[in-house]
Amino acid sequence: MSKGDRGRDRTAARRIVEQQKADERRRKVTIWTSVGVVAVLLIAGFAGWGVLANQEKKTDASQVTTPSVAVDDGTAFAVGTGPVTVDIYEDFMCPICHEFENQTGPTIAQLVTAKKVTVRYHPVAILDRASNGTQYSTRSAGAAAAAAVDGKFVEYHNVLFQNQPEENSDGLDNAKLIELGQSVGLGDSFAKAVTDKTYDTWVTKVTDTFSSRGYNGTPTIVVNGKQVTSANGGLPTTEIFSQAVAAAAG
Amino acid sequence: MDLKQQPSRLAAAWPWISTLARLGLAAVFLTAGGLKVTDLAASGRAVNAYDLMSYDTAKAVGAVQPFLEIALGLLLLIGIATRLSAAISAVVLVIFIAGIVSAWARGLRIDCGCFSKGGELAGGRTAQYGLDILRDVGFLALAGLLLWKPRTRFSLDGFLLGEK
Repeated sequence: MSKGDRGRDRTAARRIVEQQKADERRRKVTIWTSVGVVAVLLIAGFAGWGVLANQEKKTDASQVTTPSVAVDDGTAFAVGTGPVTVDIYEDFMCPICHEFENQTGPTIAQLVTAKKVTVRYHPVAILDRASNGTQYSTRSAGAAAAAAVDGKFVEYHNVLFQNQPEENSDGLDNAKLIELGQSVGLGDSFAKAVTDKTYDTWVTKVTDTFSSRGYNGTPTIVVNGKQVTSANGGLPTTEIFSQAVAAAAG
Repeated sequence: MDLKQQPSRLAAAWPWISTLARLGLAAVFLTAGGLKVTDLAASGRAVNAYDLMSYDTAKAVGAVQPFLEIALGLLLLIGIATRLSAAISAVVLVIFIAGIVSAWARGLRIDCGCFSKGGELAGGRTAQYGLDILRDVGFLALAGLLLWKPRTRFSLDGFLLGEK
């Protein structure tokens, strides 16, 4: 073996050792960064879980003031005494709900007067994001609950839709909600409930009940337990609604 | 000629292309998670609208999902265990796509809730499932590219391996 050969061998050997060192380093980095990634994701997942659990505590039965007049497990306000039950899930911020009220509201009022239907209004809040953080959906639904307790649900419900704010505006402030209440004859106890947000956590519970029943959008209209929609799944016309009521009455 | 000694232009460009893919995917997840994390109840309702699980499960998934998306976005942003992060992103995106396909197949009328809080569509609006799927497939392609070529610039991986 010549000197040159030996030198070449040594260089080759050194290169192999360096390569092994680099591989070892790469392996270590891969393992530890992978462990880090999994740990971060687990922590994030638990954080989400924790935040949810914390929020759920707020709607715990002991924290919720259920309006004394509420029906259907304390999640709705009944209007009328007819044999057919009509459940209406509405968000006071929802323009289509307003459209439904304009379109079919008079027919519903007639059916109530004729003692053909019992309407159960469920004021839900799924559009809180559409009021620049003022949570208008929750506040207005809470105010409607306060109106119901003081015996003026329908009147207040109607005046809220007549004064519906634009989506993605701040909504009506509490002073305006109270003023609207006064316009339909609501007094101090109503104003106090609005200011104290007495029924706001209850609204969250109503919304939860709505979702747990598999409903996702507002307005959801249910006649004797059966959801009523147009042919393509949208808002039913007054005719479709009336037919559903007539069919349910038998 | 040895390719390692004389890298082609494309080979030299790959780390940069991968870097763009990594940062793009990070932005996607950070945006998607950030839009949902402010209202977990709405996020839960969006999951519930897919009608694939009980409401209680949907609530939990809806609460955990935005946090996972943000975490994944941050991991991609700093570039740690890029191949694994890309693999997890790909799995997540495949689940999202499967969910949208299933909603479409069942004729549900929902907002996918991808970059919003989702839920049922208001009357008159039609679902855009095709576009949603196309977009998610695009994101999946980014994840696939990262899986294939995980070496990127400005990454924690590169720093730890002593790359310049």
